[in-house]
Amino acid sequence: MKYLQRLLCLLPGLLWLQQSIAQEIRVSGVVTSRTDAQRIPGAVIRVKGSSSGAQTDADGRFAINAHEKDTLQVFYLGFEPAFVVVGSNHVINISLESTNRKLDEVVVTALGISREKKSLGYAVQELKSKDISEAKETNLVNALSGKIAGVQVTNSQGNMGSSRIVIRGETSIAGNNQPLFVLDGVPVDNSQLGVGTGRDFANAISDINPDDIAAISVLKGPNAAALYGSRASGGVIVIKTKTGKDTKGGLGVTVNSGATFEKVLILPDFQNSYGQGTGGQFSYKDGKGGGLNDGVDESWGPKMDGRLIPQFFSNGEAVPFVAHPNNVKDFYVTGYTLNNGLSVGGSSEKIDYRFSYNNTKQVGILPNTGISRNTFVASNTFRLTPKLTLSTYANYIRSAADNLPGVDGKRGNSVTLQFIWFGRQVDIEKLKNYKNPDGTDYNWNHSYYSNPYWIQNENTVGMLRNRFLGNARLSYEIQPWLTAAFRIGTDYYQDRRKYRVAYYTNGTPFGSYTEDAYAVNETNGEFTLNAKKKLGSNFDIDVLAGGNLRTNQYEQNYQQAPRLAIKGVYTLNNSRDPLVSTSYLSRQKVYSAFASAQVGYHNYAFVNLTARNDWSSTLPVSYFYPSVNASLVLSEAFHLQSNVLSLLKVRGGWAQVGKDTDPYLQVNTYPFNTPFGSQPLLTVSDKYLSKNIKPEITTSTELGVEAGFFKNRAKIDVTYYNTTSRNQILLADVSGSTGYLKKLLNSGELKNHGVEVQLGLTPIITRSGFRWDVNVNYARNVSEVVSLDNDGFLNSYVLGSSGNIQVIATKGQRYGALFGSAFARDAQGRVLVNADGRPQTDPTQRVLGYFTPKWTGSINNAFSFKGFNLSFLIDTKQGGSIWSGTNSTGMRTGVLAATMPGRDQEHGGLPYYNDGTKNVQLPSHDATAPNGAVVKHDGIIFDGYTADGKKNTAVLPAMDYYKAVYSSSLSETSIYDASFIKLREVRLGYTLPQTIVNKWGLQSVNIALVARNLGYLSKHAPNIDPETAFNTGNGQGLETLQIPTTRSFGFNLNVSF
Amino acid sequence: MKKWLIPIYILAAALIFSGCRKELDRININPNEPTIPDPEYLFANGIKSNVDTYWGTDATMETTLLYVQYWSKIQYPDPDRYIPASTSIQSVWNNFYAQGITDFTTLIQLGDSLKLPGYKASSIIMRSWIFQVLTDLYGDVPYSQAGQIEKYLTPKYDRQQDIYNGLLTELKQAVTIIDANPGAPLAGDSLLLGKLQNWKKFANGLRSRIALRIADRDPEGARKVFADLAAEGNVFFADGDREAKLNYLASPSQNPVGRNRETRNDYRISKTVIDQLQALNDPRLTVYAAKPADGGPYLGVTNGLPADSASRLGFSKTSDVGSAFTASQAPAFLFTYAEQLFILAEAAQRGFYNGNASDLYQQAVRASFKQYGITGATVDAYLAQPAVQYNVANYKKSIGDQKWLALFSESLEAFAEWRRLDYPQLKPAYTGVLLGKMPVRFTYPSSEQALNGINYKAAVARQGTDLLTTKVWFDMY
Repeated sequence: MKYLQRLLCLLPGLLWLQQSIAQEIRVSGVVTSRTDAQRIPGAVIRVKGSSSGAQTDADGRFAINAHEKDTLQVFYLGFEPAFVVVGSNHVINISLESTNRKLDEVVVTALGISREKKSLGYAVQELKSKDISEAKETNLVNALSGKIAGVQVTNSQGNMGSSRIVIRGETSIAGNNQPLFVLDGVPVDNSQLGVGTGRDFANAISDINPDDIAAISVLKGPNAAALYGSRASGGVIVIKTKTGKDTKGGLGVTVNSGATFEKVLILPDFQNSYGQGTGGQFSYKDGKGGGLNDGVDESWGPKMDGRLIPQFFSNGEAVPFVAHPNNVKDFYVTGYTLNNGLSVGGSSEKIDYRFSYNNTKQVGILPNTGISRNTFVASNTFRLTPKLTLSTYANYIRSAADNLPGVDGKRGNSVTLQFIWFGRQVDIEKLKNYKNPDGTDYNWNHSYYSNPYWIQNENTVGMLRNRFLGNARLSYEIQPWLTAAFRIGTDYYQDRRKYRVAYYTNGTPFGSYTEDAYAVNETNGEFTLNAKKKLGSNFDIDVLAGGNLRTNQYEQNYQQAPRLAIKGVYTLNNSRDPLVSTSYLSRQKVYSAFASAQVGYHNYAFVNLTARNDWSSTLPVSYFYPSVNASLVLSEAFHLQSNVLSLLKVRGGWAQVGKDTDPYLQVNTYPFNTPFGSQPLLTVSDKYLSKNIKPEITTSTELGVEAGFFKNRAKIDVTYYNTTSRNQILLADVSGSTGYLKKLLNSGELKNHGVEVQLGLTPIITRSGFRWDVNVNYARNVSEVVSLDNDGFLNSYVLGSSGNIQVIATKGQRYGALFGSAFARDAQGRVLVNADGRPQTDPTQRVLGYFTPKWTGSINNAFSFKGFNLSFLIDTKQGGSIWSGTNSTGMRTGVLAATMPGRDQEHGGLPYYNDGTKNVQLPSHDATAPNGAVVKHDGIIFDGYTADGKKNTAVLPAMDYYKAVYSSSLSETSIYDASFIKLREVRLGYTLPQTIVNKWGLQSVNIALVARNLGYLSKHAPNIDPETAFNTGNGQGLETLQIPTTRSFGFNLNVSF
Repeated sequence: MKKWLIPIYILAAALIFSGCRKELDRININPNEPTIPDPEYLFANGIKSNVDTYWGTDATMETTLLYVQYWSKIQYPDPDRYIPASTSIQSVWNNFYAQGITDFTTLIQLGDSLKLPGYKASSIIMRSWIFQVLTDLYGDVPYSQAGQIEKYLTPKYDRQQDIYNGLLTELKQAVTIIDANPGAPLAGDSLLLGKLQNWKKFANGLRSRIALRIADRDPEGARKVFADLAAEGNVFFADGDREAKLNYLASPSQNPVGRNRETRNDYRISKTVIDQLQALNDPRLTVYAAKPADGGPYLGVTNGLPADSASRLGFSKTSDVGSAFTASQAPAFLFTYAEQLFILAEAAQRGFYNGNASDLYQQAVRASFKQYGITGATVDAYLAQPAVQYNVANYKKSIGDQKWLALFSESLEAFAEWRRLDYPQLKPAYTGVLLGKMPVRFTYPSSEQALNGINYKAAVARQGTDLLTTKVWFDMY
C-alpha cells in the first residue's frame, strides 16, 4: 500500500520530468502544522504558473522541481494556503496556519460566492462537515438543531419522518417559512409531499447524504440572502459539497461506517391500578359490546388485583385481571440506522474528482417500519484550459421503504392513537399472533381498533423515490479580472407511494388500495459575469451581474380502489367500485436579473450592494428589490489591535426581498366532482381568487457587532434585526356565507424583530495540546401579526388545527397563537361550575398560548487533547406552548397515572352515595348511606364556584371528573408550557496519531461515538416530548398522538487511505 | 458603444421581456380545471352535493335525526347527548353556503347571461330551499348579502321573518319565469327529471311550507301566500307525480346513509319511534326498522344513553333503521306528496286553504303509507284507531304526531315541524347535557365569531344567546 501510495505521489513529478527544461533546481522540505508542529502528509504543492505539482509523503516531506523566484503554493484542507518564493536555499520548510484560528475566515455567501467574513454586513454562521456527518442524523435538518443562533428545528417523530426548520421566526403568515436549500449554487427541493395522508413522509432535503457535505452556511435572512430572490425571505441554507480537493492525499479513498441505535425517549406515564371498562365493570365476550363494557376501550374498569374476569384471550373463561405495565413500551422495538459509505477523490492540476456511494438503512421503532437510501455522487472539476473550467455534479438518490410509521391519530394506520386507549390489563405479547385462522384480526377490542400488529404488518404504506440532482458549471476567465460563468442545475424526482388497507381492518371491511405518485422538477439556468479589480492601492471592487431562468413542475397522480374485490391482492384492478382518480399538474417559471457589487477600502471597510428583478408566472407584475450592507473593521481601521483586543467590527444593512406565490391563483376555476353515475359534475371553487396580486415584500434591517479578545480566545457576535413582511398573499378563511371558504388576500403584514448572540470562548489551551472551547448561541425573536386585510374584516388566519384547537395568526398578537375554549370564569377569575359540579366552558374561544418560543439557546462545550475530542451540546427553547393530544385523550380514557388522584380511598377519593338524583358526600369512608345506597369512594369535587358565588360542593365520580375537565371541547386544560432544556448531543471522537496510521499505510482514522437527544434537564409538559411536529407546515404546537421521539447512541468509523 | 444605440437596446430589451410576459401568462393558465362552467354539470352538482348535505352525516345522523328521536347512537353517544361536534355545525353551514348558495347563484347569473330561463328558475328554487333549511336550523342567517363576496366579505345576518318573506318573493318569481318559459331546456336534473312543471310544483310546495312556518307569528302573511297560490290555481304535487327526491345510485354515488353503513355501526333506530309505531300498531314499523342481527323482536335504543349502557345493549341485539333507508340506492326526499297533503290539511284547519282538514289529513297519512308500498285495508284499520283519528280540538297533535311519522328520516324538515307544532311530545335524551331541555336550533359555527364577528354579535344580540336551546323566530310556542 505504502509503495503504491508513494508511486502515486511521484506521478505528477514524473509527468513533469518529461516536460522539464534546463536550469531547474530540486526543492525539498517538510510541511508542518503551525499549531502543533505535526507533519502534514498529503499536502499539495504547486508551482505557480506551471503545471507541475507534488504531494507530501507520509512524513510530510516533499520534493519538487522549480526555478528560482518561482512561487510555491501549498494547499491542505483545514489550513490556509501558503505561498513561498523559492530563493537560494533549496530546502524549504513550510508551516501552515489552521483555518479555524485565522481572522480572515472565508465563508460561502449568496450564489456560492466566497467572501471574507469580515467584509460582510450581515450575520452568517457556518457548520463544518464534521459537525454534520458525525451527528449521524439521517435527516439533515436535525443535525442543525442547537448549533446555530436563531435556527429553530422541530424534530421528527419517531426516528424518521419530517423535521421543520425556521430561521429568525416566521416571515410569511401563510406561505412556506422554511429556508431555501441551495446545494452547490443550485436550489434543491425540500417539500413534504402527502401531508395529511396518515404518514409522516420525510421532507425532501433528507435525501442528501450528510457525509457528502463539506460545509453549510446559514444565511439568516433577507440581508444575507437577497440575491437569491423570491424564496430567500426565510433565509438560505447554503450547502457546499465535498470535492476532490478535499481529499487529504494518498489514494483518496475514504471509508465511512456507522451504526446508530434509537430507543423511545419518552412514553406516557401510565397507571397500573385499573383496567379496561367503565364504571368499574368489564367482562369480555366479543370486544364490541357483547360482553360487559367490552366495547368500551377506556380504562375506568375493575381494579387489576387479580380478580377473575373473562378476557379476550380466555375463550369466556374467567382469568386473573392484572396490569401489564409495559404493554405499550414492549410494542416498540429498538430502531437502528446503519450507514456505510465509500468515497474516492483526488486532485491534480487538470482534474478534481470525487465519487461517493452511501447506503443508509434505517429501521424504525415501530415494528415492520424502515427506509433505506442509496446515494451516488460524482463530482468533477476539469480545468480544460488555464482559463476554462468545467465543474459537474451528479447525485442519484434512491429512497425506498416498504412501510413507514403511521401518524395523525387515524385508527386504520396509527397505533399511537390506540395506545392512548389501550386497556391497562392488555398483554401485548398475546396480540403478536394477530390473525385468526379465518383471516380476521385477533384483538382486545373490536368496536374501534384492529390489532396493532395487524396495523403494522398488513396496513402498510410504502414509498419509492428516485431523485437526480445535478449541475454543470462552465466558467471562463475572459481577463484576469473578469470571469463569465454559466451554470445549469436540475433537481428531479419521482415519488411513488402505495397505501394498503387490508380486508377486515376495523372500519374498512373490504380494505382499500391507493397509489399516489408525484413528479417534481426544478431547473435553473444561470449566467453571471464577475469583475474583480483593484482601483489604485486603496480600493477593491468586485462586481457581479447575471440572469437566472427557473422552471418548476409538479405533478400528482392519485388512484384509489376504495374497496377491494378480493382480499390480499393489492392492485388497482382489484376493485369493487370505480377507481377514484385525480391528477394535478402545476408549472411555474421565473426570470430574474440580478447584480451585486462589493467595494472594499484598505481591506477594512466594505460596502455591498445587491439588486434583483423577478418576473414570475404566478404574478401579473414584475418586482424589483435591492439591498445594501456595510462592514467596518474598526480594529484594523484605527489600529486598535492589542493583546487584549483582536478584532472589532461593526456591520449593518438594509434589504428587501420580493416573494411570488403558488401557480394558478389569479383566475377562478370550476373543479370537477366525482360524477353522479354517468353525470359529470362541476362545482364553483370554494376559493375566490384575484387577478391583481402583488408580490409579498419583506424588508429587513440588520445591525451587528463582532469582537474578539485575547487573540480571539474570546469572541462575541451580536446581531439585531427587524423584519417586516407586507402584502402577504393568503388564501384567508372567510365566512362560508360569502359563498366561498377562502379568499385570496394580498394585504397582511407580519413583523419580527430580535437579537442573536454568539459567544465563543477558549478558557483553556495548553502547550501539551489540551483545549477547551465553549460556544454559546442565544436568539430571541418577537413577532407581531400587524394586520391581515386592509379593511380590517379579518382578525385571524388559521394555520392548522386538531379537533377543537386551532393554531392561528391573529391581529395584534404573536405569530402562532393556540386558539381554543377555556373554562367559564366569574369576575374574580374563578372557574364556574354547573349544578352537577362539572366545570363550565366559555362559549367564546380565546388565545391560550403561542407555539413560537420566546427565545432559544444552546451551549456547546468541546474538549480536545491529543487526538481525543469530547463535546456536549445543551439546547433549549423557552416560552412557547403546546397543546397535547396525549394528555387530553389519556386523561379522559383513564390510562395515565395522572388520573389516579381521587380514584379510590387510597388516592384521596371522597366517600359519597347517589340518592337517585344527585351524589351526596359522606363524612367518612366508614359511613353508611341511607336506604342501603351503595357507598362509593372515588369522589372528587372540582375546585370551582357556582354562578351565585358559592364554593362548589357537588361530588363527581373520578371518571366523570376527568372526562369533564379534559373534555375534547375544553382545550385550556391540555395546553402546556413547551419550554425545555435538552442534552442534545454528546460526541466523543478519537483521531489516531499520524505516526501509527502511517505505519498502517493509511491517511487517517477517526472513531466517533455520538449520543443524541439523551434526555431533558428540564421540561414542563408531562407524558410527551414538547418538541414534536407532525408536519413541516405552519400549524405547529399541536401534539396529536405523534410517535414518541427517540434518543440515539451511535458510533462511526472513518478511514482514509 | 455609441450613445445613440442606447434607446435601441432598451427597446430590444422591452420587446424580449414583453414576449416573456406572454410566455409567463400562458404558463399560469390552470391546466387542471375549466375556467368557464357548463350549466348542466354545475346544476347537476348543485343538486347532488346539497342533497348529500341535506341527507348527510352532519346535518342529520350526528344531529337532527337524534334530536327528533328517529335515530339514536350506540357508539360515540356524545352527539345524542346534545354535544354536537363543532365540525358538524361547521360543515352544514359551509356546505350549504359555499357549495349550494354559490353554485346556484352562479347558475342564476348564467341563466341571465346565456338566456337559460329553465336553469334560472330551478336554481332560484333550489337556492330558496337551501336558505329555508339554513334559517330553519340556525335562525337569523346571512341572506340578502350572502354569496356576493365581491360586495360583502362579511355578510350581515337577516332576520328570519325577512328571510322567509324574501324566499316567498323569490319562489313566486321563479314560478313566473316557468310560466313564461314552459318549454325552456333543463338538463342534469336528477331531482325533478328536467320538467319545469315539476319544479313549479316544488316551488309552490315550498311556498306553502314556508307559509305555515310563519303562520304562528304572521297569520296574515301566511293567509296571503295561500291566497296567491289559490289565485295561481293551486298547482301542487298530486298523487303519482314525481316528488322532489334524489334516487341514489351504486357506489361511489350511493346514499350518504348507505355509505355510512358500509363502514360504520354507530346508529340504531330510536326507542321513541319504535314505541310510537308499536303503540299505533303501525305497519310502517317493518319498513322503518330492521330486526336485530341476532333475531328477536324490534328493539330501539333510548336516546342519549351513556357510552357504557349503550354499548352494553349490544350491536347485534338492537334494531338498525330499515333497509329502505340504509341501502346504498335508497332515495333522499326533499318534498313529498304526503307532506304537501299535511300542509294543506293544516292550512285548511287554519282557514288559509279551501278544503276539509280531516279529509286532507287522512289523505296525507294514506300518501305516506303508499310511499312505502302499503295500501288497502291495513291503512283503513290504522286510520280508524282513536289515537290516529283527526282531532280538530288539538289538530297540532294529530298533524304533529302523524307528520313526524311520515317524515321519518327526513329529519331537517321534521326538526322544524316538531318545533313549530310541539308534537309529538318528546322526552329529552337520557343523559342530555341541556339540563332537561332539548335542542331547538343549531348554534352558529364557531368560525363565525372570528370571521364575521360584528354581524355575528348583532345576530346573537337580536336572537338571544347562541345556544342550542335558544328558540328561533318561527318557534313561537
